[in-house]
Amino acid sequence: MSDARASESRVIEDLLAFIGAAGADEDAFNRMALAVFAHQFEHNQPYRRFAVQRGRTARTVKSWRDVPAVPISAFKELTLTCRPPEDCERVFMTSGTTQGVRGKSHHPTMAVWDRSMTLNFRRRFMGDQDRLRMGILFPTEEAMPNSSLARYLALAMRTFGAEGSRNFIGDQGLDVAAVTADLERAEQAGEPYALLGASYSFVHLMDALGGRRFALPEGSRILDTGGFKGQSREMEADAFYDQLSATFGVPRRSCINMYGMTELSSQFYDDGNEACPSVKSGPHWIRSRVVNPLTGEEVPKGTVGVLVHHDLAHFNCASAILTEDAGIAVEAGFRLLGRADGADAKGCSLAVEEFLKAARV
Amino acid sequence: MEREVAGYLPGLPADQVEWRTLTFTRGNDALEVAVPVLTDAQIAALAARVRDAARRTLKTRTVADIAATIDRAVARLLDRDDPWRQKAERLLPLVTGYDAEMVRLGLTGYLKTFRRPELQKFLVEDFANPSILDDFQPTPKGGFAKAHGPELLLHIWAGNVPGLPLWSLISGLLVKAGTVGKVPTAEPLFAGWFARILAEVDPDLADCLAIVWWKGGDEAQELMWLVQADTVVAYGGNDALAAIRGRVPITTRYLPYGHKISFGMVARSALDVGKAGMVANRAAYDVVRYDQQGCYSPQLFFVERGGRVSPREFAGYFANELAAHETRFPRRALSMAEAGSVAAWRNAEEMKTFAQPTRTLLGDPAGAWSVAYADAPEGLSPCGLNRTVTIVAVDRLADAVPGLAPHRAFLQTVGVAADPEELHRLAGLLGAVGVTRICALGRMTAPEAGWHHDGRFNLLDLVTLTEIEQSAEQAADAFARYVD
Repeated sequence: MSDARASESRVIEDLLAFIGAAGADEDAFNRMALAVFAHQFEHNQPYRRFAVQRGRTARTVKSWRDVPAVPISAFKELTLTCRPPEDCERVFMTSGTTQGVRGKSHHPTMAVWDRSMTLNFRRRFMGDQDRLRMGILFPTEEAMPNSSLARYLALAMRTFGAEGSRNFIGDQGLDVAAVTADLERAEQAGEPYALLGASYSFVHLMDALGGRRFALPEGSRILDTGGFKGQSREMEADAFYDQLSATFGVPRRSCINMYGMTELSSQFYDDGNEACPSVKSGPHWIRSRVVNPLTGEEVPKGTVGVLVHHDLAHFNCASAILTEDAGIAVEAGFRLLGRADGADAKGCSLAVEEFLKAARV
Repeated sequence: MEREVAGYLPGLPADQVEWRTLTFTRGNDALEVAVPVLTDAQIAALAARVRDAARRTLKTRTVADIAATIDRAVARLLDRDDPWRQKAERLLPLVTGYDAEMVRLGLTGYLKTFRRPELQKFLVEDFANPSILDDFQPTPKGGFAKAHGPELLLHIWAGNVPGLPLWSLISGLLVKAGTVGKVPTAEPLFAGWFARILAEVDPDLADCLAIVWWKGGDEAQELMWLVQADTVVAYGGNDALAAIRGRVPITTRYLPYGHKISFGMVARSALDVGKAGMVANRAAYDVVRYDQQGCYSPQLFFVERGGRVSPREFAGYFANELAAHETRFPRRALSMAEAGSVAAWRNAEEMKTFAQPTRTLLGDPAGAWSVAYADAPEGLSPCGLNRTVTIVAVDRLADAVPGLAPHRAFLQTVGVAADPEELHRLAGLLGAVGVTRICALGRMTAPEAGWHHDGRFNLLDLVTLTEIEQSAEQAADAFARYVD
């Protein structure tokens, strides 16, 4: 076995144990983070060049906070992988493109990603249920093999879905009649139901229902993710959760928002959306910092900055990533404030966001 | 804390108006600005008052007379001993965050373009005979015509570039429109001051205009105003403009001005060792002025190979000039969103340098400027603003033009440094892909008096003509008392 493969096997084995443990203190997280960084620094050449340019090497990095965070745009420009891409079991690609280029995350094995997802999903979404009948407002994994969200939802359904769980978006788009029938069935049967999917698909569904309301049984839950991305009309968070709650009869505290990224292998959740923006947090194998995007330095608690995530489960690419999402650190996690871009433009100069939007049309 | 009242509401006593407070903070200085929130009844009353007053006074004055009044008001703002000017110099940097010296110089340079001789140029740019705004004038085809401005012209302004609302405000006054302007939250003061100065220097016009505010996106308030106006001029991003268009009554004329992208072009003829430094200095000045917030601010530069100074070397000159300008005109403090835009752009550029070793990124991440250098031609794309710029090397400047064509709807100003032949050749190509303004480097953010904003007619677009056809004259002859 080559050095690279041996190193990878060790990292995977350690990570599976680390993820499976009940928690991790600062020291334990640090040890694991340094081991993962050492692996990436040694075997991921583009990342190594990036780290060296930032003056960080396996020798100088002593704390997980020193691990250089790659900007997410790096996933578009560079092939950030320890294992050669052709040997990887799976590649996920971002849905957003910049002039036709999509960001990629390579996964030599899905074992760590799957483990991270299922442990965390059980804890943060399933409540005291082992299985729930699920309706998925998203295409299947087969239809979208490069979508990490399709994988996520497929795995949720496979692992935690009760009999009758299914996807409602197929070749013909959203099957409103079938969702309606399934929701009615859940109402009549009185068994808790879970509706999961992209935030914009919920908007599409609610628009298609034209004001029709359901009263899903107690214990029912909703999971939305990803925002509207120009795929549906934009809604304010409060209006969105009010309408979700009113339409499906699920209280806002049981409407969970998942925050995930193609460039990560773990997800963040809130504990419902009674108040927005909700507090998001992740499991013990991921840590987040809020930084000034220009200096990379942490901003004082309670101040707005840009989120950096350090996801140990993302062992093959780069564990530490600098996002373009604005957030505020709070006691139990962070509040996500949306994208840190020029949306609040001060002048009449064309900004990147509007330019890209026009280019997409 | 200092407090200033925004807006100008003739006939509405301040104590009958609800006020909201906007707070602006720069370092240790803070300013509270009270902005008016009007009821539906107040909006209707104010609109009626402005419309009536304009009909009674503004429309009976000659355009030369109105220009003289505007000139007197502008003179007050140009006089550094005038209290209004002093207030503007003190408060605008605080509100907008721009460097005080940049605001001072910018105001003077900008206001100069509204002196009486400049206003006359402005008028003849659009009207061969400006008297057509006063009375019926003979027309070349025969007959007579008179130009009428709107009864009520509504301006919806955006952005924080100091003084920018003056363009359309003055355009409206020159065509004798009853005028209501909505100030942006980012800079709510200047337009209201100008209205008050105008009322001071010419009390007859005091009721002919109003300056109001509503929160951007407040559809109910906006709609109340939209139904009052017969012409609406709006500035903003395409989403905001589209939303307004959806609410403007179909019989109302709507003139939207969207966000634009501008850039520079440097020919090899400008790249000898003696000239390149000066060219870079002027180009950098265009970037520094108002931190690239204007639609006319350059976001990238195409630089031709084959001169004594290579495009890569020019990028170095450019970086030096940005650094030098920073000491004189420091960049304003960025919001987190703006810093995020700069960082996202810088990060993307940095990642490209890993993938393409011929690319370079100059400037410190925490510094106040960045220059990206691309050795291979690439299409137009916006930078991160706030003093970030891309230098793109091309074999021939004309090579860059086809890549611009897809962005026709967004193109505006091109600053050109080239010899006369090249200038005219490029102008032909650029005009064909939608560029509407070509100027010297160093002048990109200071359009000359009478320019045609986005290639349109600032005054002509506002008026309607009443024509007396020849047939009416001839027929009238038959009814004259002196008819045989």
